[in-house]
Amino acid sequence: MNAVLRRLGFYLVSAWASVTLDFAIPRLMPGDPAAALVARFNGEMSPEALRALRRAFGFVPGSTLTQYASYVTHVARGDLGLSIAYFPARVSDVIGTGLGWSLGLGGFALLISFTLGTVLGVVAAWRRGGRLDSLVPPALSFLGAFPYFWLAMLVLYLFGFTLRWFPLQHARAPDLLGTSAMTLVVDVARHAVLPAAAVVLATLGGWMLTMRGSMLAVLGTHAIKLATAKGLRPRRIMWAYAARNALLPSVTSLGMALGFVVSGSLLTEIVFSYPGLGYLLVQAVRNQDYPLLQGLFLMITFAVLAANFLVDLVVIWLDPRARA
Amino acid sequence: MKEPALRALLRNRKAAFGLAVIAGFAVMALLGPAVVGDPTAFVAVPHLPPSWSHPLGTTGQGQDVLAQTVAGARVTLAVGFTVGLLVTLLGALLGVTAGFLGGRADALLSALINVFLVIPGLPLAIVLAAYLPHGSWSLVVVLAFAGWAWSARVLRAQALALRGREFIQAAIVSGEDTLRVVLVELLPNMASLAASAFITSTVYAIGAEVGLEFLGLGNPGAVTWGTNLYWASNDSALLTRAWWTFVPAGTCVALVGFALTMLSYAIDEVANPRVAAARDVEPAARGEGAPAPAEDGTAATGALLSVRNLTVRYRDREQPALDGVSLAIRPGEIFGLAGESGGGKSTFADALLRLLPSSARASGQIHFGARDVLGLAPEELRAFRFREISVVMQSALDALNPVARVAEQIVDVLHAHESFTATAARARAAALLHVVGLEASVLEAFPHTLSGGARQRVALAIALALDPRLVILDEATTALDVVTQRQLLDRVAELRATLGLSVLLITHDLPLLLTRCDRVGVLHAGRLVDLAPAADLQRLARHPHTRRLFAAYEALGLAPRRAV
Repeated sequence: MNAVLRRLGFYLVSAWASVTLDFAIPRLMPGDPAAALVARFNGEMSPEALRALRRAFGFVPGSTLTQYASYVTHVARGDLGLSIAYFPARVSDVIGTGLGWSLGLGGFALLISFTLGTVLGVVAAWRRGGRLDSLVPPALSFLGAFPYFWLAMLVLYLFGFTLRWFPLQHARAPDLLGTSAMTLVVDVARHAVLPAAAVVLATLGGWMLTMRGSMLAVLGTHAIKLATAKGLRPRRIMWAYAARNALLPSVTSLGMALGFVVSGSLLTEIVFSYPGLGYLLVQAVRNQDYPLLQGLFLMITFAVLAANFLVDLVVIWLDPRARA
Repeated sequence: MKEPALRALLRNRKAAFGLAVIAGFAVMALLGPAVVGDPTAFVAVPHLPPSWSHPLGTTGQGQDVLAQTVAGARVTLAVGFTVGLLVTLLGALLGVTAGFLGGRADALLSALINVFLVIPGLPLAIVLAAYLPHGSWSLVVVLAFAGWAWSARVLRAQALALRGREFIQAAIVSGEDTLRVVLVELLPNMASLAASAFITSTVYAIGAEVGLEFLGLGNPGAVTWGTNLYWASNDSALLTRAWWTFVPAGTCVALVGFALTMLSYAIDEVANPRVAAARDVEPAARGEGAPAPAEDGTAATGALLSVRNLTVRYRDREQPALDGVSLAIRPGEIFGLAGESGGGKSTFADALLRLLPSSARASGQIHFGARDVLGLAPEELRAFRFREISVVMQSALDALNPVARVAEQIVDVLHAHESFTATAARARAAALLHVVGLEASVLEAFPHTLSGGARQRVALAIALALDPRLVILDEATTALDVVTQRQLLDRVAELRATLGLSVLLITHDLPLLLTRCDRVGVLHAGRLVDLAPAADLQRLARHPHTRRLFAAYEALGLAPRRAV
């Protein structure tokens, strides 16, 4: 229990640090984005909305400390101000439209990739020097060196545009109102295949090599020697002894890599015009929608922190020694 | 990195590949633009497929893709390597400060490092880049700020580890200036790790740079691989099927990243030779006996275990680990094997169960009853292990599976050899714990919650699970305190009496063997140099090594004369 609380405390501090960064960045950067925005919208915006926008930025009258306090209170209430690109929608509402898609796609791709990569790593380490072990890791390492979004372009080109196996963009067909739930599920799944495949291709090698490495370390331990001496069946030694122990460092490194995977997954969305946070991110960049951009940064960071906490819980669940 | 390390690096195949590719791209970045001409010039119609005049076709604007790709190397790599360098320097500065100073400075810096590690870098970089004027220098600043934490963490851990080492401690104690200790003693020892951190950071930087530029956060006027991809995407490369506009830039990014990764693996291999060597160790060694010659009658003398002329060689060692060892163990006998570390005791134990690593070759004969151990087929071998000969290992303290409960580790050996119902197996497990003097509640425990003595008893319970005829105790009591050691060995002696068990007791502790064993053999440099009943060993000892052992123990007042 103690370990859980300690980790939770760390993530709360990290969340606070990211809110503080979000507050500090516009103030430390050259120029005054708020003033620029206000100028841009002058006349088009009601004075009320303008005030709301400035407030959302924390540009309330008073000292930096007062502004900071006001900013933190707003964030805590879930008030991230008004979007410029989607004016006059609230940033929190805009983000709400993309969050589910991103979590679904990213989580799904990550789960498949990690599971598959881990199994491949177990088998490769077990049959060291075998065909799987000598051919697949270099090939997957090479794939992993491509930018995620580039692999997304490639699979979209090959399986979308050329072979026409899968839809080209978006998360679902526009005209599915009134059809059965089953049709909807199949349609959403078909739209997710290519973006998920791009993420899986880019990350599979990483998980495989990580698991292979920790398997090799475990295979050299006395626990495996004793298991062999006991006359256990090879399959049992491989999974119940070697893989179960090797999984711990592997899951820990999953936590470390979450930020990268999420970032890559967001760029992948852009290629498919997948309506998640990544797509919103590019809209925010193109329209210089600073409130949305900063809101997205916070939301993505919070999501990554939450996922990290989840990974910590899994580690604690898997490792009796971590439960202290 | 020292001279020989550098030379070893150049001999490494991964390093050679990595360096060659990087060098190729470096030449391309430096000289290429002069050869291919102005990449921004509009030279032909847009989206022209590859042809002789434009080997990689033209972009959606009608620029030459080859020229764009070659010219793109320059800024892309310059930004990537600059960020890699900056991040490594920053990481070294913060990491060494934190790791070397320790105390409050370390606590504060570590917290900062950990927070920055967990905040996703790319979204942070995007927000920063959006606020800065778009350009290459902005990218450098942004990527360094978003990516410094990883190398700081790695280098801090290394500095912390090195600070605890003797030579650094000695330098500190001798009153050397802190800065001097850091510069002269610490940093040179961190060179290979810093090189790895530099490479990994550069890979990160290039990837993130390309990503930001793809989003339109670079300088859209500059020619880089990232902006090439940005324009390819903007000019509907996919819709127009113009694959040649995005394939070259992405492939270049991947080649550079892959080459750098290979180089970093190579540095790891050269800096930590054990990483490479560890790959040779085959845990599930399929014992490689020379095909045993036909029975020569030695097995039929009533011995339970009969070893003839056993020789074990490791591929990487000149001296054999065991050199022509012959001995026999009788039913119900406690046989002691003494000798110094590295004398071949554990190799002998491993050979009996065919647990030798694949780098070892065993020849000679091992007969257990009528069975030829070196000749057993895999499935026969599996059935033989623990059913006939079981072992409590030298490091049984960490030989139990740390993530499985005790019950599971006893029950699985039962299920592997016999058909048990779940209830029967559990009852048997509880009975075994009772035999070694443990409560049934230990079944639910994880190994780390047990004391060293209790863990060793669990290991003994597992060894007894199938009523084997021979149990090997390989330095099994060495790490225990004297009282626990005696309790455990008393228990073994009782079991010998009640179950008719034979025991092979292996330890460097000669006085212990003399009090506990029927006969004692002495291994020295792989040879069995003496073998006699425990009570007569001192009198009959022929080999100088055995006599020296007795003399040494006598000098300490430890050698029990004719003790029982």
